[in-house]
Amino acid sequence: MTVIQTRGLTKRYGSGAPPALADLTVDVADGVTGLVGANGAGKSTLIKLLLGLLAPTSGSGSVLGHDITAGGEAIRRAVGYMPEHDCLPPDMRCIDFVVHMGRVSGLPAAAARERAADVLRHVGLAEERYRLMGGYSTGMKQRAKLAQALVHDPQLVLLDEPTNGLDPAARDDMLALVQRIGHDFGIPVLVTSHLLGELERVSDHVIVLDAGRLLRSEETQAFLADTGVVLVEVIGAADAQQRMGEALAARGLVSRPRGSLIEIDPVTLPDDADGEAATRAHDQLRDVVRDTAADLGVGLVRVQAQTGRLEDVFREEVPA
Amino acid sequence: MSAPAERTGVIHDIGYRRYAGARMSSAGIAGSLLASGVLAVFGFGRSGKAKILPFVLLGMTMVPAVVMVGIMSFIGLDAGLLNYASYNAGSSFLVVLFVAAQAPVLFSRDLRSGVISLYLARPLGASAFALIRWASLVLAILAFVLTPLLVLFIGGLSAGASFTEELPRVAWALAGAVVLALLVATVAALVSSWTLRRGLAIAGTIMVLLVGLGVTVALKETLFFEGMDTAAHWVSLLSPFALVDAVTAVLGGTDAQITSAPESVATGWLLVSTALALMAVGLLLLIRRYRSKGA
Ligand SMILES: Nc1ncnc2c1ncn2[C@@H]1O[C@H](COP(=O)(O)OP(=O)(O)O)[C@@H](O)[C@H]1O
Ligand SMILES: [Mg+2]
Repeated sequence: MTVIQTRGLTKRYGSGAPPALADLTVDVADGVTGLVGANGAGKSTLIKLLLGLLAPTSGSGSVLGHDITAGGEAIRRAVGYMPEHDCLPPDMRCIDFVVHMGRVSGLPAAAARERAADVLRHVGLAEERYRLMGGYSTGMKQRAKLAQALVHDPQLVLLDEPTNGLDPAARDDMLALVQRIGHDFGIPVLVTSHLLGELERVSDHVIVLDAGRLLRSEETQAFLADTGVVLVEVIGAADAQQRMGEALAARGLVSRPRGSLIEIDPVTLPDDADGEAATRAHDQLRDVVRDTAADLGVGLVRVQAQTGRLEDVFREEVPA
Repeated sequence: MSAPAERTGVIHDIGYRRYAGARMSSAGIAGSLLASGVLAVFGFGRSGKAKILPFVLLGMTMVPAVVMVGIMSFIGLDAGLLNYASYNAGSSFLVVLFVAAQAPVLFSRDLRSGVISLYLARPLGASAFALIRWASLVLAILAFVLTPLLVLFIGGLSAGASFTEELPRVAWALAGAVVLALLVATVAALVSSWTLRRGLAIAGTIMVLLVGLGVTVALKETLFFEGMDTAAHWVSLLSPFALVDAVTAVLGGTDAQITSAPESVATGWLLVSTALALMAVGLLLLIRRYRSKGA
């Protein structure tokens, strides 16, 4: 089911300014969708447009079937939002705050209390819920922000940089939680990150923005598929890497150094090649690498297939 | 549920429950926000020590009322002691302290802590939100100024004052208190939504309200002295306290407590209307402030 749809959505903050979001046409479905892009790419702008908090300069969009310009209130009733910046009053107890946010989202008092306790347990704040939020760590604050986005049982959640400021362990916990919301809770999630690599593990679909433009919108699988590229590490004399590269070139392979590794492009296969042919080509490539190393007398530390990563989208498509 | 797991931050695998029950209309949400705002001014729903200041101030403003009622009952003094208008004027310092200290709870806090971005992503829009916050402050101020007046009135009646004599007098004082709450709330809301720091908001509100009162009184005296009475009456617009005092005096026939009141009833009504129009302008500014914070 499509939960978010945009058509040529464009936002300029000033008439002379470059667009913060330019001509964006995407569809977002159930599950977890990652919205990725460097700082300033337009992720938060998109979320505010979807909530009806900003008016688009041109183009249109709908969230859960409500138009983003005309149906702002209906959208804000049905959607949970976790902003990227601090948004917690320090002098409130977490439980009181989440109950309160449930109330202003339209829950009756008893339901708000019950659900606040529920979601605080789900985000892992059950024990700390009676503490004032001013004393919370960044990880606890992010969980409290997430709890208030879930308290009214939204039909969609928009999470703006939920892992921002977290240490690696807390980031993993948060990402696991995001995945649970999208899959176990059954609430579609749009989650943003400026860290290109982190969302690929938890999202079903990834949208990549660059300077307000759509770079890609694809199933995560497409990003992670075996790219056919082979990475090789050799040891030996100081110039072992360079000699290896030259020898590979002599055998008709395109390669380039990448740090301490050598990156070898896949052999181009005919268009009608099937999976089996690809595997065969791959094995042959590895054999060639092994033979070349043996001929040169350099040690082969490792030969590995490279799977795609989000970073590569940028390397491939953004001119440096 | 195993407690040790929570401590390490591991998420429990307790199934998520959907909510299929009733949801409130926008009016219902507004009502609940209004109530929680009034309570927050008195420290409810916040830390324990947040309740101290508002209740200490409320206690202080009650003292004269309680003492007067006590004197009337025990010593049997006459009802002439019940001067509601002077109560309004006499407690203005405490009202200023109360408003200055508590308005930031409703205005600075939302904007400063960023909670505003959560509120604006909820069904109520920026305008409704700003107005509800303001209305919460109005109601809280009313609770603050009406409580001692009612104690005085009810206590006075039980000590033998005549209901029919007291009613019109207290009614004017109550009406004055309502106008005062509307105006003072607008001033304090504007000051504390612009100065995001609590300390600055408190100092700013005290400055505008108290120094404003002093300046108003001085200006009016000077103008009266110079014989420019009309100008003097309009200067009342600079201070809600001076205005309410002058207007209740001319319209309600009470004694003016702060400076002399205008003689013409028409001027009185004109002054109130102008003050309320200024208040409306202030509210538009407040709404614009919240709108700009939304995006
Ligand atoms: N309120 C605003 N006024 C003017 N420019 C803005 C405003 N908010 C964002 N921008 C600009 O729009 C672009 C996109 O910003 P944003 O949506 O916040 O990106 P992201 O969330 O991906 O970091 C940036 O160039 C930013 O400077
Ligand atoms: Mg952002």
